[in-house]
Amino acid sequence: MTTQPILRVDHLKAHFRSSYFGVYREVPAVDDISFDVAPNEIFGLAGESSSGKTTLMKTIAGLITPPLELIGGKAQFSFMPPETNLYGADPAQLARIRWSKLSYIMQGSMNVLNPLRQIRSIFRDFAAVHIGGSNSDFETKTVNHLSRLRLDPSVLDAYPHELSGGMRQRVTIALATICRPDFIIADEPTTALDVIVQKEVLGMIRSIQREMGSSVLFVTHDMGVHAALTDKLGIMYAGCLVEAGRTADIFNAPQHPYTRHLIHSLPRIGDTVQRTGLTGTPPNLANPPSGCRFHPRCPLASDICRTERPMMRQIATEHRVACHAVAGDDA
Amino acid sequence: MPAYFNFAIKRLWQFVLVVFIGINIAYVITHVTPIDPVEQSISAVTSFGNTSPEAIADMRRSLQELYGLKGDWIEQYISFWRRILQADFGPSLSAFPAPVTSLIARALPWTFGLLAFTTLVSWSVGNLLGALAGYYRNNRSLKFFGVLAMALHPVPYYIVALSLMIVFGFIWPVLPITGGSAMDVQQGWNWQFVASVFHHSVLPALSLIMIGIGSWFLGMRSLVSNIITEDYVVYAEIGGVAQSRMMGSYIIRNALAPQVTGLAMSLGGIFNGAVITEKIFGYPGLGTLLVDGVYAGDYGLVLGVTSIAIIGVSLSVLVIDLIYPLIDPRVQVAS
Repeated sequence: MTTQPILRVDHLKAHFRSSYFGVYREVPAVDDISFDVAPNEIFGLAGESSSGKTTLMKTIAGLITPPLELIGGKAQFSFMPPETNLYGADPAQLARIRWSKLSYIMQGSMNVLNPLRQIRSIFRDFAAVHIGGSNSDFETKTVNHLSRLRLDPSVLDAYPHELSGGMRQRVTIALATICRPDFIIADEPTTALDVIVQKEVLGMIRSIQREMGSSVLFVTHDMGVHAALTDKLGIMYAGCLVEAGRTADIFNAPQHPYTRHLIHSLPRIGDTVQRTGLTGTPPNLANPPSGCRFHPRCPLASDICRTERPMMRQIATEHRVACHAVAGDDA
Repeated sequence: MPAYFNFAIKRLWQFVLVVFIGINIAYVITHVTPIDPVEQSISAVTSFGNTSPEAIADMRRSLQELYGLKGDWIEQYISFWRRILQADFGPSLSAFPAPVTSLIARALPWTFGLLAFTTLVSWSVGNLLGALAGYYRNNRSLKFFGVLAMALHPVPYYIVALSLMIVFGFIWPVLPITGGSAMDVQQGWNWQFVASVFHHSVLPALSLIMIGIGSWFLGMRSLVSNIITEDYVVYAEIGGVAQSRMMGSYIIRNALAPQVTGLAMSLGGIFNGAVITEKIFGYPGLGTLLVDGVYAGDYGLVLGVTSIAIIGVSLSVLVIDLIYPLIDPRVQVAS
């Protein structure tokens, strides 16, 4: 791959820092994470709840508000000037790229539409400034775009509460894609939907992404969704990226012990073996384990895992893993 | 629309019922007072000298008729309602023989002018500043205003009013402290009178706004600080929706519904008069009229003012209910 990545996340660190009544707490929710997203690629992020997926998203998107603080590293989009994070970027610069280059489909998409505003006005609020043209031009464009997501033009006259959950989700996807952005951040966009609607919505994200050639950073804990949708996959555990690579490689040959457990816990048609869960619980990030954060639950843990934090190493083409126990530990 | 029409009819019927019950309660309360207006009038007349017993009996009969006290209680009650429907509350006792309706008509413009103005001003300024303070939480002058509102809000109203009076009436005597207008000015539509009314209303209006603005400000600020954490506001923010649009259509619009209801309630409350304000500043409005009526045992007057207040409050609640679907499209009329 020689193409320039559209997003390069480089040793990104963001911690929650709070100090109440002299008690100082520091939660390393995003700890030294690096990965690239290439153009026209869907990059998935997986991990259990509280593994820092959403915090990573927010940090990349520049939505850093106290107590979350950016400690170091950067998340560089190719459409931004070099060496600038979205966080702390010039507001005029941000206003230019938001929605035209970078858009979002948020977690809990049910509530992202202003309940007191008609869908038509919401589209206008978000997109009119980037698309330009007369009102009727904009209207035509909106209607065309909606029809691509199999939405009737009549939804433009509706208020959000008049639409069903699935329709609202399609409207948000339409809203996020109407400006044909280069990059879409999708944070659990299908989690609240039933599987039928989920399948439909995923298909739409896929087809519209293919058509526009955008990149998508797609976060969900649902491994089935990752298998069906993403090109690349990153596995997060306790604020760290433990494995990243092509989705097919990770599903076929998971390397990290955590990933292996994750993949093996998935039900397979025809397989009647009892699934075993991992023992223990995810660590409290306010007080993470020393060394590798997975070592208290890891069947392969050795002494070095307790003291030294494993770094991400390339083990195959586009397949990186952070584990001392994985073969090829000669660096 | 038939669903809405049915709802409006039902709501209108409720309004009539509420007003009917309210006026009945006011009727009962004013009629169980131990003061007999007829005997009071007679004793007022007879205290000046000898009056023949026949004349007194005649007077009693005609007074009873005037006050609607003729016959047994059912007849009295029916004639009361007959007169109410003609907007006739009988003569005032304390300002005999002026009819209650003309007393109210004289006092109402004063109260309405003062309170409608102060309510609207404190509502709009308080809400606007509250919304800004909730959104721009780090703005220094808004923070300062928040502290000021918080400090002023719990101070009892009369303390504020009396302090203003002392400051602007005695220490730095630039404003009149009593009355609705200067005594020596002819009342009417002339420049001198209007200026005098304006001049006299500064202190009462200022005191009402100072107290009123705080609750709207604090209410709106906390509404807005909740709303800015709502997903749709965060989403619009990262979507780069223009600031003015954000403020107007996303934040204030969503916070406004409870505040509009509150405004309707306080506008309805105008017809109660502002008893303390009007007493302190000697303002010739409904509040003064009501208190004077109570002191004098003038139940016709009390009943008149109370009925106006009942109708005012119910009417404004009716109006707000009828226009609520416009304010919040999620409010649907059950079909």
